[in-house]
Amino acid sequence: MDFEVTYTAEQEAFRAEVRGWLSQNVPADLTQPVDPADLTLQQYHMLRELGRRLGTKGWLYPTYPQAYGGGDMSVDFVIILEEELDRYGLHLPPYYDSGGRLGGASIFVWGTEEQKQHFLPPIFRGEWRTWQLLSEPNAGSDLAGVQTRGVRDGDSYVINGQKIYIGSLYGCEMMWTIVVTDPEAPRHHNLGWLMIPYDLPGIEVRPMELLTAGGEGGASPGLKHTIFFDNVRVPAFNLVGGENNGWQVATTHLELEHGGGGIVRRNRVVDQFLEYCTTTKHNGATLSQNPDVREDMVEVYVKSEINRLFGLRTYWLSHAHKPRSYEGPQGSYYRKVTALEMAETMLRALGPYAMTNDPQWSPLHGLLEHYQRAAVVGLHPGGTTDIQKVVMSRRIGIGRTAKEQAGRLR
Amino acid sequence: MDLGLTEAQEILKTATADFVRQEYDKDTLIALENTPTGITPELFQQAADLGWLGILIPESYGGTDRSLTDTAVLFEELGRGPVLGPHFSSSVLGTLIVLLGGSEDQKQELLPGVAQGTTVLSVAVTEPQYGWNPDTVQMPASPQGGHYVLNGTKLFVHDAQAATHLLCAARTATPDNGSGHGITFFVVDANSPSVSIRTLPGWMSQVDEIRFDNVRVPAADILGGMPGNGWDILEAASMGAIPVLCAYQVGSCQAVVDMSVAYSRTRHQFSQPIGRFQRVQDHIIGAVNHLDAARWTTYEALWKLDSGRDARSSVHLAKAVTSEAYLKVCAGGHEVHAGVGVMREYGLTLHTQRSRTLYHLLGDARYHRRRLADALGW
Repeated sequence: MDFEVTYTAEQEAFRAEVRGWLSQNVPADLTQPVDPADLTLQQYHMLRELGRRLGTKGWLYPTYPQAYGGGDMSVDFVIILEEELDRYGLHLPPYYDSGGRLGGASIFVWGTEEQKQHFLPPIFRGEWRTWQLLSEPNAGSDLAGVQTRGVRDGDSYVINGQKIYIGSLYGCEMMWTIVVTDPEAPRHHNLGWLMIPYDLPGIEVRPMELLTAGGEGGASPGLKHTIFFDNVRVPAFNLVGGENNGWQVATTHLELEHGGGGIVRRNRVVDQFLEYCTTTKHNGATLSQNPDVREDMVEVYVKSEINRLFGLRTYWLSHAHKPRSYEGPQGSYYRKVTALEMAETMLRALGPYAMTNDPQWSPLHGLLEHYQRAAVVGLHPGGTTDIQKVVMSRRIGIGRTAKEQAGRLR
Repeated sequence: MDLGLTEAQEILKTATADFVRQEYDKDTLIALENTPTGITPELFQQAADLGWLGILIPESYGGTDRSLTDTAVLFEELGRGPVLGPHFSSSVLGTLIVLLGGSEDQKQELLPGVAQGTTVLSVAVTEPQYGWNPDTVQMPASPQGGHYVLNGTKLFVHDAQAATHLLCAARTATPDNGSGHGITFFVVDANSPSVSIRTLPGWMSQVDEIRFDNVRVPAADILGGMPGNGWDILEAASMGAIPVLCAYQVGSCQAVVDMSVAYSRTRHQFSQPIGRFQRVQDHIIGAVNHLDAARWTTYEALWKLDSGRDARSSVHLAKAVTSEAYLKVCAGGHEVHAGVGVMREYGLTLHTQRSRTLYHLLGDARYHRRRLADALGW
């Protein structure tokens, strides 16, 4: 076994190229707020501009073919890109683009050649930011029970309904959703998967006030919305995956949302919490010298290590194209549950300091206060912890011999 | 990055799994469970013939000199059984202690026999003041002429009944006189008339009390020849031995999970397989999460050791996670199996007992959490 990514001379040469490029293209005054809700319009524009520049290099969605605006790059080189962006506290893409990340993968797997040519390049080059529209007021965990209707009328589908917990600050260019295209058809065979331009007539976007925004593995969301569709006409060309096949298309992005791609990033909050405890003195001794705090630190460390290893394991399975089963949802489940547990442990370790973002008194500029809220909000996006367990059960084959397969990523 | 097994490891895994399935059926293991050695001479000889016993021993001493990860692959399959007997005590912990601390003569004398199964080592460290810190070793070894005289009791020693030789830690100096921790390993003949070994009764297996009654050991049988560095030898050997022990526990956890998933399909209540109930699913999912946490912390520690990296924090992490995981996985197994799980003939309790028996060996979860904090420099 080898748990470390080792670099060839070719990779190191690429690292030098990336580092040089980033130093010239990441604006010096680009800082990101602790709480994504504080992202300014100016910061947002800088991130979008950086995305477009990465896109022209094929570095925004680097694993996809160049023909669609990707970089045709192997994972060995993508890791370099991720690592170098991480030095700036950024990821790929550098702004919230959950719909591009998940929808791009779905179109790539299920779209016709014409649809791929039409939809993928603008996403992969950073010209479009894309939102995903899944949950509805009456369809959360039971996602296949969505009620938004899409009725075929000539060359269009006419959409009516409501979606919630959508998007982020400052809008987008494109959205996608699943709608009921055949109310008479059986469950999972009654849906259509549609790309919808943001500026079509009949779409209304209303902000939602949440405890904070939180996302499954994506970049900072910042703010969520309710979206209303009132007789919105969408070209029939935009239906991906064929008539009433929307649930199949959704299995691809659900697999990614359920953690199927794995993750190699470190948990920055944990790293900073531990460092804070070893360097901050109360009553003349560092916090880590207090036996109670020391135990709390170990508790947090152990859980974060298990999360890291689960993420690494799934990353390897998915990128080495090994058979996957329950590993993605397991990582997602464990990350969510332990995030809340770790937040509680930090609260115990630091007391009310963990709950303030006061400029004078808060540790780490309010990072831990935001984590307290984010850990609660983070329990549900991309499937609740209970849903992750349901998926795990089916794939492990608990109580059933026919095991459910993991969703297609290629 | 490659988290898969090598081809040689896959072969070892499959061959071991096949052998364990054929030779260590449930009835055999249940019959052996509460015997003093946990194994028969025939089975132990087969272990030697298969190369299990010399897996860590260099070829010059009659072994096959495989890596710790290879050894862990073997022990994971033994843990599935769970195969009992002194494999870990003799061929992993004892062997590493001799390799790291023994003189050339001692290696020549002990290791070929370990590989052949004619020599069996048991490591006697803990005492009535139970613990895995040096100050818990209090049994004195008093110099007398060219000998040392050992008097006292070693308690909760694994596999002493099976041993031909005890690697016994005794105190040759107080800790503060400049000779390290003042602890010395002696190679003691387990069949000496002044050594009495008794299997401890209760819900554990192959765990013994050893009484030393004026046992005279020649100074030449000090491990490595020099007194005083025994604790350092134990610490160094434990670094390699602990993740192999963890791998055994990982295999055990896997067996309990497999057993529970199978039962969730075949047992029907309320006219459906019990695995259709989400409360039953929760027990298995909890067990799978413990199993995988144990598996990946263990194999990362092994990779660090085999590739020469600083593995201290990873070893403590693996042991803290794995000892606890085996308890929790067994608990989940019992929730799923209910009454049938506590029928000895079913086989689940082989693991439940094993999880308790091994929980403290080389330090429990709490101990290793403390050591983890130390290793991280907090």
